[in-house]
Amino acid sequence: MVTLQNIRPIDDAKLSELGLTWHTDKDGSKYVGDALVEVTQAEAEAYYEAANELYDMYAEAAQYVIDNNLFFELGIPFNLIEPIKKSWENDVHWHLYGRFDLSGGIDGAPIKLIEFNADTPTALFETALLQWALLKYNNMDEESQFNNVYDAIRENFKRLITLFDDTELFDERYEGWKILFSSMDGNEEEEATTRLLQQMASDAGFVTGFEYLQNVKFDEEGIYDREGNEYEYWFKLYPWEDIAIDEPELATTLNAIMQNQRAIILNPAYTLLFQSKGMMKILCDLFPDSPYLLKSSFEPLKGVKQVEKRVFGREGANTKIINADGSVAVSSDGPYENFKKVYQEYAEFPQDIHANKYQAGVFFAYEGCGLSFRRGGEILDNMSKFVGHVIV
Amino acid sequence: MKHIASLASGVALGSAGIAMMSILSGCESAQEQQQAQNKFLVIEQQENGKYVVIEEMPTEGPSRAIIRERDEFGNIKERFMNEEEMRALAEQEYKKVQEGTSETVQSGDTSAGMGLGGTILAAAAGALMGNMIANALMNNKNFANNAANANRSAYSRSATPSSSTSKSSTGKSYFGSGSSKSPSSSSSYGG
Repeated sequence: MVTLQNIRPIDDAKLSELGLTWHTDKDGSKYVGDALVEVTQAEAEAYYEAANELYDMYAEAAQYVIDNNLFFELGIPFNLIEPIKKSWENDVHWHLYGRFDLSGGIDGAPIKLIEFNADTPTALFETALLQWALLKYNNMDEESQFNNVYDAIRENFKRLITLFDDTELFDERYEGWKILFSSMDGNEEEEATTRLLQQMASDAGFVTGFEYLQNVKFDEEGIYDREGNEYEYWFKLYPWEDIAIDEPELATTLNAIMQNQRAIILNPAYTLLFQSKGMMKILCDLFPDSPYLLKSSFEPLKGVKQVEKRVFGREGANTKIINADGSVAVSSDGPYENFKKVYQEYAEFPQDIHANKYQAGVFFAYEGCGLSFRRGGEILDNMSKFVGHVIV
Repeated sequence: MKHIASLASGVALGSAGIAMMSILSGCESAQEQQQAQNKFLVIEQQENGKYVVIEEMPTEGPSRAIIRERDEFGNIKERFMNEEEMRALAEQEYKKVQEGTSETVQSGDTSAGMGLGGTILAAAAGALMGNMIANALMNNKNFANNAANANRSAYSRSATPSSSTSKSSTGKSYFGSGSSKSPSSSSSYGG
């Protein structure tokens, strides 16, 4: 059973002022839960360990996919194979941050990997800032949270320059290279996420800029804001597979930009390998004994309750929960039905007394750096709620 | 064995955190008359009892500060200081400057920090006392040195980035630019 600690919520006006304007979902319900999930120190440690170990496994699996040319199996669009390989070969294409979605981890349930949001993870503002603000607002101990997200990502920005060396060397080595941050105009949540990352980069010491996606200019020699200023880095909160499919000409241009070493794109193209849920099957093949993995296959599993997903489905869309006898328990529609299917053994999410289900999200930036929860029903969709945590 | 890290305070959140601390404490400004040089400071008492500025941010509202002090057990406690209180302390200190007794104009090592009044005057003389007084103070070499010593915020140390030279690019735009195709605004990629 998930134990909750009720707290005094921050009202909508204040949330907006803090920068969280998406506090109310389309159905009028509150997006931010007015309770915190109680987590023990040992449970928080276990989430941290899981994220670190899973990341190492993903890195090994990505190498395996590249060595064995398994891009088709993962549903990777053909026009991204070259950018993926190029970004993988050179450490300057540094992975800034990702978020592991996990079941279990509290109340004795084992931690199991649900998926890895490696390319365009959101819930960043909520995890890094909001759940800390909830502690602060309720006069609780600000240290009683597994939340080092802001600092960890700020440090990881420095590693764009220092790579595996000490980030203290950033000031010495940084020569004014600029990062352009972009999100889609009209989506406040994505813009706030992107601008938060920009702030982290500025705090790290980078010169930064922001430009909506549709105003960014590209040619084979570089990436520019609307004024024509060239940037050495471009962070886009926009899925790689959507670039590949919806903007194929841009995919070609980005490949040329990487080839000509004119700009580095973040998160790197290889994070699409991590993002593909097909990786779950590869991980199972490579690490059959890992305690973190649920049995996964490209074919329906036999005789077990399972979840059918699309390799690039997001927010619970196009998902089916299939009972052991083959009947469908629950399913969701969505725009991802053209992507390949993957089947993952069903894992029960921890529940509270109202039978709400909780999925843990563990942020990763060089190492595990913060925890938060999503609360919802059987399939966690975009109506699911954000719930912070407190270490007890 | 503890591996996971927490936030000791909002100060660890850098510029994002101090803006939020201000809002959560109910001390946000109602966009009063704009004075570009006004400052939001986070001042921390060191173990030796002296104060240093650890974060600094320009603000459009009145100047204000979060003072992080140590109680008798060495635990950090935070209190808020509004512009009036800051100005009162700065004026008191400025009086000492005129009398020649303020540590802000003494030569010697102030790298360990100064008293609270001195620290505030050093960090925000312009905002609190006006430019004429601030300029006069800064012309005093000791004051300038001490002001630099008392401020450890990244903001005060970082030089204003020089804007890059514009280069005309023939670059092409994507993502529905220049067409009537409106981007989907319901997407959110958190998965």
